[in-house]
Amino acid sequence: MSDDQQSSNDQSSNDETLESVLSDFAIPAAPNLGQRILRFIRREPLGFVSGLIIAGLIFMSAAAPILNTTDPSAFSTDVLKGPSSEHYFGTNRQGRDLWSRVLYGGRVSLKVGVATVIISIIAATILALLAGFFGGFVDFLLGRLADVFIAFPAIILALTFRASLKGTIPDLGVIMSSGELLVTIAIAIPFIPGIFRIMRGAVLEQRSSVYVEAAEASGATSLRVMFRHILPNITALVIVLTTTSLPAAILAESGLSFLGVGVPIEIPSWGAELSGQSRAFFQKAPWLAIFPGIALSLTVFAFNILGDALRDTLDPRLRGRI
Amino acid sequence: MWAYMIRRILVIPFMLLGMSLLVFLLLFIKPGSAAFATSGQIINPDQIAALEKELGLDKPWYEQYVNWLGSALTGDFGKSLRAPRPPVMNDIKERIGNTVELGILTVLISAVFGITIGALSAVRRNSWIDYLLRMVSILGISVPNFWTATLLIVLPAMWWGWTPLAKEFYTFQDDPLKNLAIVIWPAAILAYGSAAYTARIVRSSMLEVFYSDYIRTARAKGLMERVVVLRHVLRNSLVTLLTIVGLQLGAVLGGSVIVERIFAIPGLGVLTLEAVMGTDFPVVLATVMMFALMFVVMNLIVDFLYTVVDPRIRY
Repeated sequence: MSDDQQSSNDQSSNDETLESVLSDFAIPAAPNLGQRILRFIRREPLGFVSGLIIAGLIFMSAAAPILNTTDPSAFSTDVLKGPSSEHYFGTNRQGRDLWSRVLYGGRVSLKVGVATVIISIIAATILALLAGFFGGFVDFLLGRLADVFIAFPAIILALTFRASLKGTIPDLGVIMSSGELLVTIAIAIPFIPGIFRIMRGAVLEQRSSVYVEAAEASGATSLRVMFRHILPNITALVIVLTTTSLPAAILAESGLSFLGVGVPIEIPSWGAELSGQSRAFFQKAPWLAIFPGIALSLTVFAFNILGDALRDTLDPRLRGRI
Repeated sequence: MWAYMIRRILVIPFMLLGMSLLVFLLLFIKPGSAAFATSGQIINPDQIAALEKELGLDKPWYEQYVNWLGSALTGDFGKSLRAPRPPVMNDIKERIGNTVELGILTVLISAVFGITIGALSAVRRNSWIDYLLRMVSILGISVPNFWTATLLIVLPAMWWGWTPLAKEFYTFQDDPLKNLAIVIWPAAILAYGSAAYTARIVRSSMLEVFYSDYIRTARAKGLMERVVVLRHVLRNSLVTLLTIVGLQLGAVLGGSVIVERIFAIPGLGVLTLEAVMGTDFPVVLATVMMFALMFVVMNLIVDFLYTVVDPRIRY
């Protein structure tokens, strides 16, 4: 017999008083999305402004073709011209319009950055669930593996994976070329162990909680407990880790592109814009050095501030840990 | 404590073993990698066959690994695949000093500035100087080091005709002063990023300590504010600081690849990068292991410093 039936049978006369008493103890309804956003704006104005900046950056790189750009790879005779109403950011030594290159470069940075974070978060989450849930040998093995990976400086590990995986990466067509995917994977792997360690701790914490015990007692399978019970309870952590990893991923991509081992040279990217042959012209044409750098710094800056704000809003206990 | 340190040291060989196995599997187990690596240098199939035999590519991977490990332990990392085929160890010996120097200098500058800025920010919290310093630090975290380095090279050259780039590199043994005049710039650029990070952590951990009972006691017994800050608050925040320095080491070592490249410092970073670009696997393998070794040893030193800074920590 279910609880509902029981109460209607036994206490039908007292129903109204019971309800009114219970309503005094009722948990207030969870604020809806609109209210939560308003509260976020009030508490974290800087975070909100950063969110707007990011939205603007995403719009600008997505809508690059209609924002007075030309083909970013097109040559012209306007070589090394300063910023003007025709070329907002000036032109480079091949007469390419820098405004176009910066907007299109944003596409690569955002694409590779987001893809890196998605890959590393998903991989780390699955590994953390496995390690935290099964414990024992699986946990030990994954833990030692993480130790080994974490013992390398991240760039060095990314360079190693890049050298190792070169030529084995498939082309995903419009989603991502094989050159971009190679960099994405090379950057994503060094991110995994750090995220894994934090997530594993969170999974272990949930693992020993009463609701997991209850779920297991009522016969839920391991998979169900992992994905339907534990995962939803570490969502805040996942979101915070995503936003705090993103700026680091974007910096890593631009760093590798700067070194000439990033995205293929024919794709415009902020990092590559600051390196190579252009460097010889920076003194004569400082706009070449300034605009791509500002675009990159502003993006990373905005993501850093937004990440901090989301962390403080979603899970203030993480302050100082992430 | 000593028992702990000995245990920590004993783990290192296993750690390095695991790391070397990982790197080896990543870099060596590829059929035809020798031909791939020497593209443009050796075109004759006989020469490729000879090279593959020399590298032992005809043997199973575990045999290759054991052979490599055996010679690596005696300091022999084989020969580079690059044209005159110099022994890898020669390059490393020549360059490792520069990278270690860069790393130490960076950590020193970053710790001094990070602690000072973070402490000042915490003591004067919510004043204009706090806001300014926090702004400078969040910029330091966001602005990529290769851009600040580029600006440091371009702007002074444009304005005053002065550049931090040296025409010729001097090692520390050659001429310590000239060497420092070169290495100080890349170190400062790298330090800006990690000092910014350090300052943020020092600030928040000092603020935490400020509100603890023993600080109230220290004030209550009439200690000067300066003594309270330096002897009580800062000392207790140093533990957090060390953790951060430990975490930053990887970024500092990795960042050396970028600044060595920009400032033309002949270090391990540039060597690794060139080897990766030229798929010169013996060199990549050796340099990556050198970075791993440096990282592991530096982390060990940080662990050791924990017990010095905070005598309560007993392992």
